[in-house]
Amino acid sequence: MIEAIGLAKQFRTLTAVHDLSFAVGDGEIFGLLGPNGAGKTTSIRMLAGLIAPSAGTARVNGLELGPQSQRIRALTGVLTESPGLHDRLTARQNLGYYGRLYGLRGGELRRAVDRYLGIVGLTPAADRRVGGFSKGMRQKVAIARALLHEPQVLYLDEPTSALDPSAAKGVRDFVATLRDAGRSIVVCTHNLDEAERLCDRIGIMRGTLLTVDTPARLRRRNGTATVRVELVGARRPTSFLDLLGRLAFVEGARAVDGALLVEVREPRGDNPELVRELVEAGARIVHVSEEAATLEQVYLDLVGEAGARDAGAGIGLDSDGEAG
Amino acid sequence: MRPGYVWAVIGKEARDLLSNRLLLGAVVFPALVFAAIPTGIVAFIEFNELDPDQLGQIEQYISQFPDLPAKLAAQGFIVMNFMAYFLLIPAMVPMAIATQSVVGEKNARSLEPQLATPMEVGELLLGKAIASATPAVLATWGVFALYGLVNGWVADPVLTRLIFNDVWRVAMLTLVPLICLLSVLLGIVVSSRVNDARTAQQIGGFIVIPVIGVAIAGFFSGQASFSMEQVLIGDLVVAALIGLTLAVGNWIFDREAILTRLG
Repeated sequence: MIEAIGLAKQFRTLTAVHDLSFAVGDGEIFGLLGPNGAGKTTSIRMLAGLIAPSAGTARVNGLELGPQSQRIRALTGVLTESPGLHDRLTARQNLGYYGRLYGLRGGELRRAVDRYLGIVGLTPAADRRVGGFSKGMRQKVAIARALLHEPQVLYLDEPTSALDPSAAKGVRDFVATLRDAGRSIVVCTHNLDEAERLCDRIGIMRGTLLTVDTPARLRRRNGTATVRVELVGARRPTSFLDLLGRLAFVEGARAVDGALLVEVREPRGDNPELVRELVEAGARIVHVSEEAATLEQVYLDLVGEAGARDAGAGIGLDSDGEAG
Repeated sequence: MRPGYVWAVIGKEARDLLSNRLLLGAVVFPALVFAAIPTGIVAFIEFNELDPDQLGQIEQYISQFPDLPAKLAAQGFIVMNFMAYFLLIPAMVPMAIATQSVVGEKNARSLEPQLATPMEVGELLLGKAIASATPAVLATWGVFALYGLVNGWVADPVLTRLIFNDVWRVAMLTLVPLICLLSVLLGIVVSSRVNDARTAQQIGGFIVIPVIGVAIAGFFSGQASFSMEQVLIGDLVVAALIGLTLAVGNWIFDREAILTRLG
């Protein structure tokens, strides 16, 4: 269980993160989306006990950030943005080193290293130096390293970057099994499709969280759904706009490519009434469907709005994407 | 400070060093060269007759060994005069290892995953410092032992006793490890400010100039060796410099600074 309460991080004159509050339950995958420099990496570094927040606090499995940061790090696994491996050591030696740093010894360490080398499919390359590995193989070693000590809390920064589609799916499936095992997982990603498939909830971030919700609800973030009504016949769709404007349950309407796009609050209840009104007005309807907004659209809208607000207030993104 | 973490770092660094033949060569080769030059001169004197005029010219130097015949006194002066170079090895070699280690981690971005573990920054740095200093200390001691034994074998066992005197045994056991530690700490501090190992070593080279200066001054002064007082004063000075460097290092190397500047 992760609880962030008003976290903020100031680097000299730069505010990388401010007023960050959210919670991630046991057995939940929480996605952090945001542009470069939005503060995702800084947030993870604070929550993982790597850097101290300038304000606010956080609790991880009941342990408080600051006085208990060392214990937090012991129960946390972090996949850093860059694999950060020791190139002259083999995959097995890399994992062995980190296993020792996480307190594993002897047979327990050997079993954990073998198990995770197997899980990421690197057993045949276990005794080769990682300096000669491909990007994907390096990422797999880094993933194994983050999981080696069976952490209760996981922070994964771009977990499938550099992986081919098949390997990426393997990692996503594995992360899902970790959720099922009750771990709290935070995933930073630019991959909206991945966030939608993997995450139970998503927070869109730009210095602070702009919104947090499930992927399905984010797609309806204005509280309305867009219904597409395909028409045929002599009457042009624009001729029905006046009628639609008079209907109380219609939030907005426009004509696009021979169809009507109608905003309603409750498609299940409102659609039958909408169809009846249009048919009575002489419309010949061939198809009615709900147009779901993509997560990408929601993301771009939110980040764009926040960017415009910040530009108006003279605030810029953290220019160092690595720190952010 | 928990020994388990320090040992884990030492083990990792040792594997890293042993797999880096170039760096390993940089540890052993300078030490052998420093020892080979005077040994060659001793051998030359041993197998050639010295002109009495030449011996007269170095009378003031060989007179420091009144109990020895002139030829052996000349050899004694040579072996003792070059001993100061045994202080250069610990000044230069560990710095090369330390800068390579820190800059290498910096370029590989491997510091963050290590700092994400329960290990403390001090444990990481201590492990790195010990791992960087140990090969240089061992190389210095090994070559010192070899130097004493080979010169005794080439010329006369008296040279072995001269080399393994009380002053130099104390210097080997105290001053050499202290200089190694200072060199490593300076290497780590310098590495935090630059992005490549070569630049770090060049800047570090300037910093160890005082040690080199002491060695060269010793060489040209005509003093065959240091006195016990000089060695003990050297211990105190180097220990004070270590304290100062640790204070600076502690300020530079908090977890956050490493991540935001080096990570």
